[in-house]
Amino acid sequence: MLRDWVNTMRFGTISSPPARGAWLYLPAALVALAMTLPLIYLIVRASTAGISAWNWLLRIQTIQIIGQSIGLALAVMLAALLLGIPLAWLVTRSDLVGRKIWSVLLPLPLVIPSYVAAYLFVSFFAPRGLLQQMLEGWLGIERLPSVYGFWGAWLVLTLMTYPYVFMAARAVLSRSDRSLEEAARSLGYSPLETFWKVTLPQLRPALAASSLLVGLYVLRDFGAVSILRFSTFTRAIYLQYQSSIDRSTAALLALVLILITIGFLIAEQRFRRSAAEYPHTAARPPELTRLGRWQVLGLALVGITLLLGLFFPAGVLFYWLVRGLAAGGQVNHWLRPFWGSVSAAGLAAGATVLLTFPVSILSVRRKSIFSQVLEKWSYIGYAVPGIVVALALVFFGANFVPGLYQTLFMLLFAYVILFLPQAMGSIQASLRMVQPSLEEAAASLGENPLRVFQRITLPLIMPGVGAAAALVFLTAMKELPATLLLAPIGFSTLATQIWGAVSEAYFARAAAPALILILTSSISMYLINLHSMNEGSSQRQ
Amino acid sequence: MNKNRYFLFVPLMVALLAGCASFTASSQAEDAGRLVIYSGRSESLVAPVIEQFSQASGVKVDVRYGNTAELAATLLEEGKNSPADIFYAQDPGGLGAVAMAGLLAELPEELLNKVDNRFRSEDGLWVGISGRVRVVVYNTQRLQPQDLPPDLFGFTDPRWKGKIGWAPTNASFQAMVTAMRQMWGEEKTRAWLTGILANQPVVYDGNTAIVAAVGSGEIEVGFVNHYYLYRFLKEQGESFPARNHFLNNGGPDSLVLVSGIGRLASGKNEENALKFINFLLSPVAQQYFAGQTFEYPLVAGVQMQAGLTPLENMNAANITVDQLADLEGTLTLLRDTGVLP
Amino acid sequence: MKEPFVECIQLEKAYSTQIAVRGVNLTVHEGEILAVVGPSGCGKTTTLRLIAGFERPDRGEILMLGKPLSQADTFIPPEKRGIGVVFQDYALFPHLTVFENVAFGLRKQPASQIKHRVNEMLALVGLTHHSKRMPHELSGGERQRVALARALAPRPNLLLLDEPFSSLDMELRLKLREEVRSLLKQLHLTALFVTHDQEEALYMGDRLAVMNQGLIQQVDYPERVFSHPANRFVAEFMGNANLLPGKVVEGGIETEIGLIQQPVELPPGSPVELAVRADDLAFDLSGKTNGVILSRTFKGVLNVYKIRLQSGLVVEAFQPHYRFFPEGQPVRIFADAGHELACFHNGVAVSAENHIPVKVR
Repeated sequence: MLRDWVNTMRFGTISSPPARGAWLYLPAALVALAMTLPLIYLIVRASTAGISAWNWLLRIQTIQIIGQSIGLALAVMLAALLLGIPLAWLVTRSDLVGRKIWSVLLPLPLVIPSYVAAYLFVSFFAPRGLLQQMLEGWLGIERLPSVYGFWGAWLVLTLMTYPYVFMAARAVLSRSDRSLEEAARSLGYSPLETFWKVTLPQLRPALAASSLLVGLYVLRDFGAVSILRFSTFTRAIYLQYQSSIDRSTAALLALVLILITIGFLIAEQRFRRSAAEYPHTAARPPELTRLGRWQVLGLALVGITLLLGLFFPAGVLFYWLVRGLAAGGQVNHWLRPFWGSVSAAGLAAGATVLLTFPVSILSVRRKSIFSQVLEKWSYIGYAVPGIVVALALVFFGANFVPGLYQTLFMLLFAYVILFLPQAMGSIQASLRMVQPSLEEAAASLGENPLRVFQRITLPLIMPGVGAAAALVFLTAMKELPATLLLAPIGFSTLATQIWGAVSEAYFARAAAPALILILTSSISMYLINLHSMNEGSSQRQ
Repeated sequence: MNKNRYFLFVPLMVALLAGCASFTASSQAEDAGRLVIYSGRSESLVAPVIEQFSQASGVKVDVRYGNTAELAATLLEEGKNSPADIFYAQDPGGLGAVAMAGLLAELPEELLNKVDNRFRSEDGLWVGISGRVRVVVYNTQRLQPQDLPPDLFGFTDPRWKGKIGWAPTNASFQAMVTAMRQMWGEEKTRAWLTGILANQPVVYDGNTAIVAAVGSGEIEVGFVNHYYLYRFLKEQGESFPARNHFLNNGGPDSLVLVSGIGRLASGKNEENALKFINFLLSPVAQQYFAGQTFEYPLVAGVQMQAGLTPLENMNAANITVDQLADLEGTLTLLRDTGVLP
Repeated sequence: MKEPFVECIQLEKAYSTQIAVRGVNLTVHEGEILAVVGPSGCGKTTTLRLIAGFERPDRGEILMLGKPLSQADTFIPPEKRGIGVVFQDYALFPHLTVFENVAFGLRKQPASQIKHRVNEMLALVGLTHHSKRMPHELSGGERQRVALARALAPRPNLLLLDEPFSSLDMELRLKLREEVRSLLKQLHLTALFVTHDQEEALYMGDRLAVMNQGLIQQVDYPERVFSHPANRFVAEFMGNANLLPGKVVEGGIETEIGLIQQPVELPPGSPVELAVRADDLAFDLSGKTNGVILSRTFKGVLNVYKIRLQSGLVVEAFQPHYRFFPEGQPVRIFADAGHELACFHNGVAVSAENHIPVKVR
C-alpha cells in the first residue's frame, strides 16, 4: 500500500484512471500557445534579417558577448545560491534574533527595478560617489576602486535575485522533515555535515528551479548591465532597437537568446532529475538550532545583505527626496500611479496563478513527455527580454485583435507570458506534497474534478499559491517595457514614473515613487508572510 | 480558518474591480475632440505643456510615454492600426524610421516654416520642436574653461588620458558622429574615435550618468547635451561643481540636436494633431521649453534662460536633420573602431 | 543488580505550549531492553529525544556509564553520543540507496570495511538483495529493516526505538517485533523502546516503564507491572482491569460481589478500589444473584461476558469457550483469582509487598 502511494507520488498516473484530468490539456495547451506568440513573432521578424545581421551575429565579438552573458548568469546563480540558502536556513531553522522580521525584509530587494538598483549602487559606490564623499571627510580617501564591469554587475544582480533562492529554500526548509536530520545526527554527523549531506539534497529541486529563474533573469536583464557597463547579449539586443530601430537583427539575436535559454532548461532538468521526489511529512515543527556565539555572524550576514540590497537603496532614495525637496523640487502625484501599480500587479498575480494551475497540475499529476514539454515551453516568455514580448503583443494585438489592443487585458496577457514560470515552481512544489489519494477520496465521494480542486487541492496548496502570487506581484510591480507599450493609454505605474524621472535626471521625482514601491511591497510581503505562517501552524495542529 | 484561507483573494478582488474600473474609464470615447500622443520624451519634460494644450483647446489628450526607439518600433509593428495621432520623439532617429515606413503624413507648410530649414525634414514629414546643443561638461574644481581645447579633436591629446567620459550607445552621441562624418569626413572621424579610444575614456550609459560623474570628479570632462547639467544644478544647488563649455565653433561638435514631432497618416484626429503641433511651435510652448526644461526654442524671439545664448546668435553646426539620417554608416564605423561592441 | 547503563535524573522539559516531561528518573541497565509505554502525549518520546540529544532538558541530568551526556553546563551533541535511533517514520534518506543509507553512519574507515559491514547488516535484516534500491521502492517492513540496519551499523552503545512498528499492519508488526527482539538479544544490545501499545511493551521489554503526564508511574518487570500495578492509572492502562470500589473491613475488603479476603494495611472503613481482571472473575447461576448478563463476545478460546452489577457498574468476566448463557440472565458473580488482588487507596497501590520470580529469557 505504501509502495503504491510512493509510486503514485513518483509517476503520478499509476493510480489515476486514464480519463481523469485529461481535460486539463486544453487550457494547458492554450497557455502554451500564448507562450508561443513571442517566438512566432521573432521568427517572422528574423526571417527578414539581411546578410549584415547574420554577419554581425557570426563575429568573434558576438561569441565573446554570448560567453560574457552566460558567464555572468552562472556567476550570479552561484552567488545567489551561496547567499540565499544560508539566509533561508537562518530565518527558518535557527534561533536568530528577529528572524521573523528578517524573513519579511529579505525578499524585498526583488522589488527594486534593476536599473534603479544599479543606478543607486553606482551613485553610492562609484569611485567618487556618496561613499567616497563620506570617507573623504573622515579618512581623506580620494578615490574608490571602480565598481563598473563584471563584478559590479555581478554584485548588483546577485542582490536583486537572491530572493528567488531565498524564498524557495525557505519554503522547503520550514516544512521539511526533521527526523531525517536527527537520523544523520544520531549516526555521527555534525550539524554542518548533516546540512550538506541530508538537508541540501532535499532542497535540490527547489534550488534547481529557483536558480534557473535567477539565471534567466540575468540573461535577459538590460538595466543593470547597461548602467554598470558590462556587455551582455541582451544589452546588444536593446542597442539594436535603440540605435537603429532594427527589428530584424534584434529578433535574430533574441532567437539566439532563446537557444541559450533552452540550454539552461536542459541543464536544470538534469540537475533536478537526479534528486528523488518524495512527500515531505512535517510531523514536528523543525527544531531551531541554537546559534550561540554564531548569532553575531548570522546577524552580520543578514545585516550586510539587507544593508546592500534594501536599506542603502532606500537610504539613497530618501536622501535624493530630501535634497530635491529642500531645493524646491516637486513630487509628482503618486496616488494614480500607485493605484495603477497595485491593481495591475494584483491582477497579474491572480491571472498568472490561475493560468499556472493547468500546466502545473498536468506536470505533477500526469507526467508524460507532453506535459513536460508544456511545462518547459512556458519558460520561453521568461527567456526573452521584456521589450521582445511587448513588441510581439503589439504586433499581434494591433493587427489581429484591435478591440483588445491597449486594454488592461493585453497588459495582463503580457504579464502572464513574462511571469508564469515564476509562479510555476512554488505551485508545483506544493502540489507534490498533496497525496493524490486525497483527491481520489473526494472524487469517490461524488465531487467533480473542479469541486475536488476547489475543496481539497486548493486549500492544501494555498501557502504555495500565496508564495507564487507574491513573487508575480513583486516582479510585476517593477516591470517596465511591457507596461510602457501595452498598458491602456494614460495608465501609469510607479515603475513608469521612476523610469521617466531617472532617465531625465529628476532624482527627487524618482525617489518618491520608488520609496512608495518599496513600502507597498513590504506591506504586501508582510501580509503574505503572516498569512502563510497561520496556514502552516493550523496544518500542524 | 476558512475565512483566513481566502484572505489572499480579498486584495485580488479589490485589484480586479479597480482594474475593471480603470479599464472602462480609459476605453470611453470622448465626444469632444481627442488626441493620442506617443511621446518618446519623458513625462517630466512634456506633461505640463501637454496639459496646457489640453486646457486651452478642450481636447482630451491621451499620452503613451516611452523610450523613443521602442515607441518607434511599436509604431512600426502597429502599422496602419496604430491608435496614435502624434509621434513626439526625443531625437530624429525614431522619426526617420517611422517616416521611412511611410507612416507619417506630410505637414502643412505654415507649420514647417516656423522653424529654420535645418530643423525640419526635407520632405516635410516632421518638424523640430526644441533643441539641445552638444557641449563639453567639465569639473570646475579641476579645470577652467581656458584649459579646454577649441574643438573635440583636441581631446585626442594624451593629456586627457583617463579623464574623459562618453556614452557611445546614446542616440545624441551617435548623431554627433554622423555630423562629424558629414563635416569632417570619414577619415578624420575615424581618427578622432581611435584617438579618444586611445585615451581610455570611461563609458557611461547616458548623459545623466556622465554629468553625475563629472560632478563627483570621477572624470574631468564629458561629451553630453547641454541641458542635463541644469537639472543637477536645480536639485543640488549652484555648488554642484560642473559647468558646460559651449565649443561654439560651427563644427559638428557644436551640433544642435532637435526633438521633433510627426503626425501619423493613420491617425483619426488630424485637426487636433495639427492644432497640437501648432501649439508646440507657439511662443507659449516655446517659452516653456526655454524656461522649464532648459532647452533651446526653435522659434525666434523667445526669452532664453539666463546664461544661454539664443540659437540665432550661436555658431552652431550648419547641417540639416536629413544629413544626419545615415545612422547605419555611423554604427558600422563605431563597431569597426571598437567603440561599440 | 546490573550496572546502570543510562541514568536519567529528575529530567524536566517544557515546550512553549505544555510541559512534556516533569521530573523523570529512569535507569537502563546494560544489556536490557527497557520498554517505555504510555498513552500519547505522556512524554515518552520526549524522554527518548532527550536521551538521543535531539532536545536539551530544561533541568536534570542524563548520564551514560556515569559520564554526563546532559547536565547544567554540559551538553554532548547527538553525533558524539554513539546512540543509535530507529525513527517512527524510519527517516530513510530519500536521495540515497539502501546501501548508502546503511553506510551513512560508517565513516573514516576503508571502503572495503564499510562494504563488509553494510553487507553484514543487510544480511542480518535479510535485505541482501535490496542494496541498490531507493527507499521509496521498498515496502513498509523493508524500510523498517533498513532503518534498523542503519542504526546498528556503527555499533551504537545504546539503541533507541521510537514506536518503530506503529505504521505497519498487524501481521507484519507481530513478525517484525519478534525478529527485532531476537536480533537485539543476539547482539547483547542495550535498548530503550518507546511504544503506546501495552501488549507490545510487555513483549519487547525486559523491564517496563509506564509513563503518564510527564511522569514515570512504575518501572518493573512486565509480570509485576501486570500483576502489581503501582497505581490506578497503571492498572487501567495495562488493560482488562475492572476497578471495583470497596471498603476495608475486618479480614478483608467488602465489595458489591462479596468479601474479598486479603490483608490490607489500612484502618477499617477506608475506601479502596480493587483491580479485578476478567480472568479473576467467575459467575454461576447458584444462590443469590447480584448481576445481569448484558452481552457475550466469542473470542474463540473463551467467552467474554459483560455483566451489569446492581450498582450499575459493568464488569467483564471470562468463561470457557463451551459455556454459553443468554443475555438478560441473572447471575451470581464472585472473585476467583487465586492470588492477591491489586488494591488502591486514593489511586495508589496499598497491597502488601509480594515477590514474584522474574522470568528469564
